[in-house]
Amino acid sequence: MSDLNVMTPEESAATKAAVMDQVPGPEIQGQSPLHHAELESLAKQGPKTGGVHLRELKLLGHLTLRCNPANGDQLAAVERVLGVALPLQPLTSTENGGYSIRWMSPDEWLILVPGLETFEIEAKFRDEMPGHYSLVNSSGGSTVLELSGDNVLEVLKKSTPVDLHPKEFPVGKVVSTLFAKSTATIRRSGEQRYELVIRRSFSDYIWLWLQDASREFGLVIDA
Amino acid sequence: MTQQNRLTSGGRIDRSKPLTFTYNGKQYKGFQGDTLASAMLANGINVVARSFKYSRPRGIVACGAEEPNAVLQLGATEATQVPNVRATQQELFDGLVSASTNGWPSVDTDVMGLMGKVGGDMMPPGFYYKTFMFPQSMWHTYEAVIRKAAGLGRAPRESDPDRYDSINQHCDVMIVGAGPAGLAAALTAARGGARVIIADEQNEFGGSLLNGKETLDGKPAAEWVRAVVEELSTYEDVLMLPRSTVNGYHDHNFLTIHERRTDHLADIAPVNQVRQRMHRVRAKWVVLATGAHERPLVYANNDVPGCMLSGAVSAYINRYGVVPGTELVVMTTNDYGYQAALDWADAGRKVVAIVDTREAAVGDRTEAARKRGLNIISGSAVIEVQGSKRVSGVSVAALSASGSKVIGSVTKLKADTVASSGGWSPVIHLSCHTGSRPVWNDEIVGFLPGDTVQKQLTAGGINGQYETAVALREGFDAGQKALAEVGLAAAEVVLPQAQMLKVAAPMSLFHIPHLKPTSQAPKQFVDYQTDVTAAGIEIACREGFEAIEHVKRYTAMGFGTDQGKLGNINGMAVAAKALNQSIPETGTTVFRPNYTPIAFGAIAGSHSGALFEPKRFTAMHKWHVEHGAEFEDVGQWKRPWYFPKAGETMQQTLNRECLAVRNSVGILDASTLGKIDVQGKDAREFLGRVYTNAWAKLAVGKCRYGLMCGEDGMVFDDGVTACLGENHFVMTTTTGGAARVYEWLEIYHQTEWPELEVYFNTVTDHWSTATITGPNSRKLLAELTDADVSNENFSYMDWKQITVAGVPARVFRISFTGELSFEINVQANYGMHVWEKLHEAGAKYGLTPYGTETMHILRAEKGFIIAGQDTDGSVHPFDLGMGWCVSNQKPFSYIGKRGMSRSDCTRENRKQMVGLKTKDPKQVIPEGSQAVLDPNGPVPMPIEGHITSSYWSENLGHSIAMGFIKGGLDKMGETVYYPLANGTVIEAEICSPIFFDPKGERQNV
Repeated sequence: MSDLNVMTPEESAATKAAVMDQVPGPEIQGQSPLHHAELESLAKQGPKTGGVHLRELKLLGHLTLRCNPANGDQLAAVERVLGVALPLQPLTSTENGGYSIRWMSPDEWLILVPGLETFEIEAKFRDEMPGHYSLVNSSGGSTVLELSGDNVLEVLKKSTPVDLHPKEFPVGKVVSTLFAKSTATIRRSGEQRYELVIRRSFSDYIWLWLQDASREFGLVIDA
Repeated sequence: MTQQNRLTSGGRIDRSKPLTFTYNGKQYKGFQGDTLASAMLANGINVVARSFKYSRPRGIVACGAEEPNAVLQLGATEATQVPNVRATQQELFDGLVSASTNGWPSVDTDVMGLMGKVGGDMMPPGFYYKTFMFPQSMWHTYEAVIRKAAGLGRAPRESDPDRYDSINQHCDVMIVGAGPAGLAAALTAARGGARVIIADEQNEFGGSLLNGKETLDGKPAAEWVRAVVEELSTYEDVLMLPRSTVNGYHDHNFLTIHERRTDHLADIAPVNQVRQRMHRVRAKWVVLATGAHERPLVYANNDVPGCMLSGAVSAYINRYGVVPGTELVVMTTNDYGYQAALDWADAGRKVVAIVDTREAAVGDRTEAARKRGLNIISGSAVIEVQGSKRVSGVSVAALSASGSKVIGSVTKLKADTVASSGGWSPVIHLSCHTGSRPVWNDEIVGFLPGDTVQKQLTAGGINGQYETAVALREGFDAGQKALAEVGLAAAEVVLPQAQMLKVAAPMSLFHIPHLKPTSQAPKQFVDYQTDVTAAGIEIACREGFEAIEHVKRYTAMGFGTDQGKLGNINGMAVAAKALNQSIPETGTTVFRPNYTPIAFGAIAGSHSGALFEPKRFTAMHKWHVEHGAEFEDVGQWKRPWYFPKAGETMQQTLNRECLAVRNSVGILDASTLGKIDVQGKDAREFLGRVYTNAWAKLAVGKCRYGLMCGEDGMVFDDGVTACLGENHFVMTTTTGGAARVYEWLEIYHQTEWPELEVYFNTVTDHWSTATITGPNSRKLLAELTDADVSNENFSYMDWKQITVAGVPARVFRISFTGELSFEINVQANYGMHVWEKLHEAGAKYGLTPYGTETMHILRAEKGFIIAGQDTDGSVHPFDLGMGWCVSNQKPFSYIGKRGMSRSDCTRENRKQMVGLKTKDPKQVIPEGSQAVLDPNGPVPMPIEGHITSSYWSENLGHSIAMGFIKGGLDKMGETVYYPLANGTVIEAEICSPIFFDPKGERQNV
């Protein structure tokens, strides 16, 4: 298609996978999973102080990479594309500027990139990665919530059975786990800051849950 | 009202903060720091309940969780009603409203009393089993009567306005109980740098140290408590939980703690505050420092209000400044009972006598009483109490040396309070929760925690160690041991000096004999809450119930909300005596969670109302809501069911939606279908192994329907899979089957065929799917894309990557309606945009949104199955007439191949999927109806099959149904009958399940 930034037939044939830029032009605004919650207006009109802050890091590029951690050529290719190595240590993450990589399982990583770079990075991967791997754009299927504040730990403890004590859960640690009756990939991104990657279809439930769990501390929506 | 039993000084109450509370409609005063029980005793309230079976007046017996009688109903409004509150554990707050739960119209003037007394005599132990269970059909009637007569409170009839939640905790050491042992353990573990949680059910830490006049390092013990609490509060890794009952000790050192955060403040929690919280604790080590409960003695009329535990009497005097009577008789088998008399005398009231069942006992406490000149009657017991709503006097007589019979003459003494002590029972409940059997110890005359597989330590009273100095030492040792076990260095702690009192040996006596045999003596209560008497237990034993678990069930001993905390061991002792064996031979019952009753709210936590269960929404959900959709639950998804217009019935809506699709174009949100991305050079081979049909030749750009079977050859999911690239596929699954199929693929890949180079990823949420279907769907699509969507360029079962409404899309030309259809998949962030653009452009075609119900009807018109509705795990592809979807040409086997070839799967006369056409076209056969050949035959009739899908088809003007009939594929044109529950019978003809467009031309245009 002329209006699509797609790989050439040769490129596609080489990777034997279908890759497409899924993001339309700037005239069409994407609706993140929490679009209906109107967080921007809550940020403007809602309380400015409270024990828990919430921000949606929306419309990022989410790429799920599955490959062989024992394959040095693949690891090198990842570094060439993202400028940072895959975290091989379980439950850890790495980052490089706007790129972050979360360890998900022994052969699976979640790569977050700026939304508009998604296709470019996907194409680079297709150029660089040797051997058997899969790369899947899952940007529409999830969103990232950033939680911070003095009481953030209490809210998380109400939501997940994971031990989040600072000794057990240092900055950069990642777990994918139960979150209320849904799931989340939790990453500690700062002293009192955590990022949750949550699934789109469960996002309203988690939004309601977080409002409830933070009610006693006061919830501030950040733009 | 005056607080006639309140001392003018002393205790841990704040006399400058008076509080008003209501009990049974009357107002009383108490003080900040009171429990409801201490305030009631201060006001001289004697009767707090009527007993369950005999309707006897009952008073407060204990001072803590073990209280059997003062179980009250709380709540100032209907919505805030809380049943089952022990007044001994409820802190007083201003405006507290309480009521007794048994006794009508009131506990003081009990109309039920007379009836109850009559009924009680008619209710020997085992009454339920003998009488109420037969005839069984009457049980509901009996149950209603029993429940009205008994019961400990009621649930509110309105929604609870309060909030509850739960929180997960982790620690190195979980310490249960904050008495001397628990505090010493916590202090040690905290100083050693461990992550510590210490919980206590009372409002403040200190346990037994708050109830007496004991000193530590020469100062009141409470000062040491305060210093420890202050130090503990400085450690970041120490969590102190007062008002928190560790109610359950589960496997792997998982404990549940019920914290009452605002129950002490008001009827309703302050705004935004959580009333009760459940802590879910995972502890590396657990220290049980739960202390001990005093055991009452069993004697005649021992339930008359004024009969209390001796330790409780001391606690009310020392902690609450309340003397619960004027003239005291103590009866004890041990030294500790003397303390109540000493405290009573200190409070300036009359000690009538200390009746010691032992002949000669010399300990520091007995000597103190002797020095005070208190009247000590040795070798004797209170064999009977006089009085009805309050003790008026006691009968004292000498006992034989073993305590088995009365030997002396009876002396009557005037008294209004009897404090009895039969020794202590270690609070071993939690240690039992994990399956550990308690062990009897003759020396302490009680059960101790048994062996455990948990990482559990015990300290203090739970070990039968009742002297403070020993409890402190054991707590310290447990703290050090826990530190070592979690890899931390020993801590420096100097324990305070406690007085070490000499204690004479206790007497092992539980049941005080009477002049008359037990069966004829006045009632001697063992379990107050369930009205079990010593005589009742003897009857149970006489009737042949020898195992203590049977005795328990026969008598209901220990079945109350207090789990028999006071009565169980006395009951075992009575049973042991009746069976002429020892207590260890008799055995013990064990305890289960929860230690004390918990409000349902606390168990549910936040998982109620909107948060009861996750609701999954698609990207277009808001549109559906705004357009009046009714929703259907499909798994956790909320899917539009149908879109009624004003004034339409559901059937009218469905008719309109179905006609719109067949005549013009309809639109369905199909986003919930499971979608799995499959990549790798062996992806195609893998598909061939998990689907029954062939995948080797599916070209890039093409789609194919597939059936998935279990190992047994039975269909478990289906869906269309598209070949996106030579090594790249996207599989769709049923909405409800998505997670199961994904796991299925991973399991087979990881365990059976790890050599296949293939990876799976779930992309269900990533894609939004708008299905436009109907003869005008191509025209509609063409308006929103520049791509050539003609039949020549974009044929049936193709997929194309095109732009729709400006958004890159994968469009699949597949059909679940039999009409020309396009399933438009876009990244979900743009799903709503495309959906709205389709509606804008579709208006001129009358684009009609439809839901799952119309989808079901349209596919049934085509005879398409729904896995999970038309299949039930017992049908294979051939049963469904879908043998065309099974390939036996594949070089490698596939899942289900072998199962399908089992003899039972290939036999004649299996139930097969057919269509059913009713003789009366207007009749719709209810789904689930059973088919018979002769509706007039004898019952039970041989069943020929059943209906799985059945609808009214507006397109066809008659009903349609799909279902199974034995050997149905060979019975086309034959008649079957569906007898209904209402006695009518529907006659139907077996036909092809493809009712509409049998040649399948419409989807190919």
